[in-house]
Amino acid sequence: MTPGTTTRGLPIEINGLSKHFGPVLAVDNLSFTVEPGRVTGFLGPNGSGKTTTLRMLLGLVHPSSGTATIAGQSYQNLPNPTSSVGAVLEATSFHPARRARTHLRMAARAGGHDEKRADEVLGLVGLSGDAKRKIGGFSMGMRQRLELATALIGDPDVLILDEPSNGLDPQGIAWLRDFMRYFASEGRTVLVSSHLLSEMAQTIDDAVIVSFGQLKAQGTLEEITKGITGIVMRARSPEADRLAGVLAQAGIAFRRITHDEIAMDGVTPEQVGPLLASNQIVLYELAQEGGDLESVFLSLTAGLGFGDLADAAPTPPTPPTPPDQTP
Amino acid sequence: MINALRAELLKMRTMPGVWVTFGLALPLTVLGILIVFASAGGFSGHTFYFVTSLSQRRRLLGAGYFGIEILAPIIGVLCITSEYRQKTITGSLVLVPIRSRLLLAKVITTAVWSIFIALLGLVAIAAVALPWNAALGGVTSQVTDQIGAVIPGLLLSAVLLGLFGLGFGTLVKNQVAAILLTIGGTLILEGILIALAKAIFHYDLNWLPNGAGAALAGDIARGFGGGGSGDGGGANAFRLLTWWQGGLVLLAWGLGPLTLGYFTTFRRDVT
Repeated sequence: MTPGTTTRGLPIEINGLSKHFGPVLAVDNLSFTVEPGRVTGFLGPNGSGKTTTLRMLLGLVHPSSGTATIAGQSYQNLPNPTSSVGAVLEATSFHPARRARTHLRMAARAGGHDEKRADEVLGLVGLSGDAKRKIGGFSMGMRQRLELATALIGDPDVLILDEPSNGLDPQGIAWLRDFMRYFASEGRTVLVSSHLLSEMAQTIDDAVIVSFGQLKAQGTLEEITKGITGIVMRARSPEADRLAGVLAQAGIAFRRITHDEIAMDGVTPEQVGPLLASNQIVLYELAQEGGDLESVFLSLTAGLGFGDLADAAPTPPTPPTPPDQTP
Repeated sequence: MINALRAELLKMRTMPGVWVTFGLALPLTVLGILIVFASAGGFSGHTFYFVTSLSQRRRLLGAGYFGIEILAPIIGVLCITSEYRQKTITGSLVLVPIRSRLLLAKVITTAVWSIFIALLGLVAIAAVALPWNAALGGVTSQVTDQIGAVIPGLLLSAVLLGLFGLGFGTLVKNQVAAILLTIGGTLILEGILIALAKAIFHYDLNWLPNGAGAALAGDIARGFGGGGSGDGGGANAFRLLTWWQGGLVLLAWGLGPLTLGYFTTFRRDVT
């Protein structure tokens, strides 16, 4: 597979999707689309309906109303589902007595694929050395990799991942990020749900933000972060008075914070930077505050899920090959 | 469908519980053979005696039923409940999203493994029962003459008892509960109900799963009041259904819970 040589993704369309679990409305008239060739983050606090939506997309949960389709068809009606869609879902498990390779052979058989794919996908996720080990002895991270290998068994056009970073170490998370980017670079579709915002901000092109089962925002990462109120540019300069004059002349709203610090509302570094440079204003600091994905998320979801951010793991640079997995 | 079936067959082949169940077929058949030889002597004074009557000969040939009636339902139960016990049902439904197709693959897989159990029992009959009967003074051909009357029904009863287990497994989902319900129901509760029905109402309660299976498997009637209709039976003899009635009744015992389980449990949301 060479990045950029194929465009084989399929669009995902969620249209008016709702799901009641008894009196609980888990998903409320949700509509959004996911485009091929992009990594789309499906973001929301715990209990916001992400998993239920993905499960409805895969036919595991029956919608109360609305549709969830892939290339215009429900998952069950796709001619060869596992060739079209690969899914990594939360709470999926394996028979502990089964060996990794056997599990994948079984998946290959079920999808009508060559059983040799088992070894290929094991290599792809860095589990070749563990092919004959029983899954019962696998670590959480290894199970997550095996789940990904299962999803890839049919070389699918669409990859759906529900909280895929759970259980992965920082190297694994970085590898997964690279993999998703690579997958999308081939024109394929990636829909990934997560509450790890710092991780998602480094990975996704588009975002769909949900809260209480409702759509709160959808667009490119840039569109979403740009559209949020409360984004502030902060500049610190020994020439604060002259800076204030330039901003006033340019019609930019600003507030004086301290004797050498000014806050500007509704502008980006790309707008302010050239303006200050052309006026030869000395700067000690120019920073954007409150316009990142996390701020948008917290703003749109009323702060729900904030505690989850503590789980976000740092992701140091890693080599492109999968790291060695030993429990 | 073929893909789902191939995957299910591999799935079953890689479950330790299935092999334990399969392995029990041999000792249980040998136990069945011992019972037939022990009961064949009657008042002759011998501990073990060769089989003579039609019923005895059929019972010896169908001694594998002793294992089948226990193990085939367990195979059916394991086939479906392991998905819930090990939480693999989500993955299975992602791979085979049409649920009726997945369930049909499990029906066929259960049938295949139930037949394996029956065949293993027949191997034990050939290897142990027939030589032993000859050594005791019996005529082998008098037993093998009954192959046509016993073995097709024995294999079919194995398939339908497996379906019976699969049906209850689909309905109940909990592995332990499903095994207790099927095995406890057929081995203990059925016996109690039969005895009560006979004692109180003088009625042959012969349409319960085990009785239906015994009727289908060549009127082997072991454990049903001391004699099947093959012996003619006395006034107190337990009358089994005819083989085809037994087959239909056992099919209903399998399809009933399976259909009910499909519409109530198997089609539910997998959250």
